[in-house]
Amino acid sequence: MENNIELQNVSKKYKDFELKNITFNVPQGCVVGLIGENGAGKTTTIKSILNITRSEGTVKIFGKDSKKNENEIKEEIGVVLDDSYLSDYLTPKQINSIMKDVYKTWDENKYLSLLKQFNLPINKLTKEFSSGMKMKLKIVTAISHKPKLLILDEPTSGLDPVVRNEILDIFRKYIEEDETRSILLSTHITTDLEHISDYIVFIEKGKIVFNLPTNELLENYGIIKCSKEDFLKINEKDYIKYKKGKYQYEVLTGDKNIIRSKYNITTIDKPSIEDIMLFYVKGEK
Amino acid sequence: MIKGLLKKDLYNLSSYKTSLIIIVIFCGIAIVGTEAINWGSIIICAIVGMISLSTFSYDEISKSNKYILTLPTSRKAIVQEKFILAIAATILGGILGFTLTIIVANIMNYIRPENIINIDYESLITTTIGGMFGISLIQAIQIPSIFKWGAEKGRIQMFILLFIIILLGAGAGFLIMKSNLSIDMEMLTNFINQFGLILIIAFMVIMYYISYKISYKIYKNKEE
Repeated sequence: MENNIELQNVSKKYKDFELKNITFNVPQGCVVGLIGENGAGKTTTIKSILNITRSEGTVKIFGKDSKKNENEIKEEIGVVLDDSYLSDYLTPKQINSIMKDVYKTWDENKYLSLLKQFNLPINKLTKEFSSGMKMKLKIVTAISHKPKLLILDEPTSGLDPVVRNEILDIFRKYIEEDETRSILLSTHITTDLEHISDYIVFIEKGKIVFNLPTNELLENYGIIKCSKEDFLKINEKDYIKYKKGKYQYEVLTGDKNIIRSKYNITTIDKPSIEDIMLFYVKGEK
Repeated sequence: MIKGLLKKDLYNLSSYKTSLIIIVIFCGIAIVGTEAINWGSIIICAIVGMISLSTFSYDEISKSNKYILTLPTSRKAIVQEKFILAIAATILGGILGFTLTIIVANIMNYIRPENIINIDYESLITTTIGGMFGISLIQAIQIPSIFKWGAEKGRIQMFILLFIIILLGAGAGFLIMKSNLSIDMEMLTNFINQFGLILIIAFMVIMYYISYKISYKIYKNKEE
């Protein structure tokens, strides 16, 4: 499987934060979710991929060095940033006129039809849009030049579940249209990723904690709720983290089957990605 | 790509349309009131020239710099676009100031034939070019300051720099006066008449060039 993004040992040092040796790939046809707490390094990783910030290490996009072929690569990428867009003082009509001169492959008809599809007024200033409308406009702008890769930083934060679902539908359609396309989606709303992602990369304090297929996380991982006596019987190798409660222990395992066969524990809950993330952040070992 | 960025800034500036028209009308009234018509061209030139710099504030409010860097463009093109806009605004401001002053003066001469305003075209051209030079100097200082410190902080730094320049100029003038240097005013006037325009244009080109080089150097290494 070819990769649309390849990151190798990407590092970036700030005064109070360090991104350390980030290495992962975004294969063609896949949605990769980048998760982590606020300030974990998700946005810095995305900024490094897009050369917005200077960092060490290698970033290859479509197999090409991202620094040497920057403009050529950016022609084929659609980007949505949570806190940044062209301007709040423009109308979607003016944005169309600008983007025609920005992207060689800008598809005006597609842009206009998507605006219509999402009920976005063409002549209204974007500063008068609701957060959901603004985000839809950002996404419409990002996909209207038919990019091979979408890079999305927190595209669903602050939105209500209905709009979030609509936006996830746009991403689903986008990826289904062409199997060589990919999406890198950074979010702290992990429930969105359970429905759409193929891989999850979890970043914590600037380091990758895990990079696993979403299915594996949801199918193989499990949470055991047990007494202290039962917990002490479990070999340290067979669990990832535990949380000590008032009356019981909660234990996260990466392989439910091993727990079932070795320890005669049958009640193992299926964790959500959020549960797994919380165990990694708050749990002990 | 520069065309797209220019469009973005011009669309942003289009919200200034009404304010600009009102300011120009007030300038017209002021010109007529004082009959110091040469000031009209300087003021209009200054307004138009400085309005171009407000595009930096629009970018800052919308945090658009980060987004623009995700588009197929380069940091060089972003800096170049700001200079194209600033230079175009200065030229446009000069032309507008010159033309509007003549129009307003002629309208007033038509309305008030008993109080004719005499237009000294040579003097009007000189003051307009002087105004353009002043604006280009402010732009040449302010653009790198904004690239370095942002639109708000950059403005403060610009005023500090401008104050230092004025202070140095005044200091130099004071020293010349004190040193009892005899200046042949006739020769100086002849020199200015002969080479003044070329020198001013040459200075403006050099100022913009140095300012562009500094701005690009700053923005090339800037983290968004």
